[in-house]
Amino acid sequence: MKRRLSQDPENTEINVSPLIDLVFILLIFFIVATSFVNEVGITPKHKDTASASTNMEEPLAFDLPASGQLVRDGVTIGIEQVAPIVRSSTGDKAPSVLVRVSPGARAGLATEVMDQAMLGGALAVKLSALNQ
Amino acid sequence: MTGSDTNDINVSPLIDVVFILLIFFIVSATFVTLPGIEVARPRAVTGKALEKNAVIFALSSDNEIKYAGSTVQLEEVPGLVQLASKDKGKPVVIQVDQWADASVLAKLIAEARKKSSDVSIATRKPSA
Repeated sequence: MKRRLSQDPENTEINVSPLIDLVFILLIFFIVATSFVNEVGITPKHKDTASASTNMEEPLAFDLPASGQLVRDGVTIGIEQVAPIVRSSTGDKAPSVLVRVSPGARAGLATEVMDQAMLGGALAVKLSALNQ
Repeated sequence: MTGSDTNDINVSPLIDVVFILLIFFIVSATFVTLPGIEVARPRAVTGKALEKNAVIFALSSDNEIKYAGSTVQLEEVPGLVQLASKDKGKPVVIQVDQWADASVLAKLIAEARKKSSDVSIATRKPSA
């Protein structure tokens, strides 16, 4: 009581320095722990085969053999032809695309085919592996 | 000028700002587990921004599946997805190297799809 009376009221404040230290450490921890994962990517969606009754039509199939080519109905085509093929079949029905890959095909090419198919308006894109 | 103690800078606004920053970082922190390798992503023009809070797998150029810094087998993938997503249905992101085997990628997507309905392939912009 005597001490409080003898000093200014400002001097009776709580010492906040340890609080600030602690808060700064927490702040730095959360800044460092926040991982800024900003991925862009494609999401190949394919319809659930059990529920889709309209899925009777044959999907557009593209084959990727181990030779690194892109084959549609037995004919080797270029990557830039995928989108027009998908788009030209969009007229009557929403196309679903099947990309059949053989062991040895590049994942980069398979991703580009799926990307081009989605560019062409494909609603469902499925990647399936052929066992040889 | 009643004493040297009263000449302190007023730290209350500083504490306010620091607290606001702290709360921002706590709220925005989404502790994702990174696969631990860097891959050469394939280019895609239709790539969209993916969910940040995802279960991330990587497929290296020598066809190894990486998760949280270690190599995992294909059969372990559904269990890891379920464990990491804690029944909240987190999406799965696969960082695939463009020189990886596409059949391994297809199998990895099929395995991940058993436990998550949203499986994406990480790509990069065509210009990058």
